[in-house]
Amino acid sequence: MQKTSWLNYRRVKCGMDRLSSTLSALADPTRRAIIARLAAGEATVNELAAPFDMSLPAVSKHLKVLERAGLISRGRNAQWRPCRLEAGRLKEIADWVERYRRFWEGSFDRLDSYLDELQRDGKPDHI
Amino acid sequence: MNAPPLKKEIDLTITRVFYAPRPLVFKVWTTAEHLARWWGPKDFTVPAVATDFREGGTWRSCIRSPEGQDYWARGTYREIVPPSRIVLSFTWEEEDATDTLITVTFEEVTGGTRLTFHQVPFPTRESRDSHAEGWGECMDRLLAYVATHREAAQ
Repeated sequence: MQKTSWLNYRRVKCGMDRLSSTLSALADPTRRAIIARLAAGEATVNELAAPFDMSLPAVSKHLKVLERAGLISRGRNAQWRPCRLEAGRLKEIADWVERYRRFWEGSFDRLDSYLDELQRDGKPDHI
Repeated sequence: MNAPPLKKEIDLTITRVFYAPRPLVFKVWTTAEHLARWWGPKDFTVPAVATDFREGGTWRSCIRSPEGQDYWARGTYREIVPPSRIVLSFTWEEEDATDTLITVTFEEVTGGTRLTFHQVPFPTRESRDSHAEGWGECMDRLLAYVATHREAAQ
């Protein structure tokens, strides 16, 4: 596995703007359910709409948001061609989380040592 | 479909047990002097940190990589319940950074303190249809669902 330094993610010109539009697109439970369904395979608009008590135009609106965010792609004839998950965007989010994970795991390792040091030195633990 | 493997969480949850009393574990989150001693990834230094530790107060920090690159971040304290809970926002000072919301809880356990850290993205760009509060749990369920289906499909 390629060793990616913590710094490299920040410098990658993927555009945080794109990431936050992806995150916004996923800030809706219906859209998350659609993504979950597509993770299992392609589906038509009708198939995607089936579980929801919602009109086809309402579902289409959600699909447009997901498509604009690059999370799904659709055939030109949207009614008939299947929708497909573009998992690259989800991977970008996973990478974004990973950067934070490294920050916090590293911080908590240091915190562990620091707490040991404070107690060893007998410093008071009150305000 | 060849999708790359998905992480289990989009929201980030870390649980640690520290062998120290809860008031002390809580205390080291509350002053710049303490924060400077542990904040940031391995081998980074903290050239600057400031905190106004109260609900509505702000914090700001600079961490410096071993290569000398500085990264600033800032946030606001949303909720403080000593010695058990801190809720704060965390945002890198970069173009188009996404805000995140962090909840840290401190529980006494035998021999020490369990710290539970939870961070969720808090998109503010498109506020319509935002269900940010339920984000963490829902995303967790979504990704568990996805993981299950991916396994079933193989």
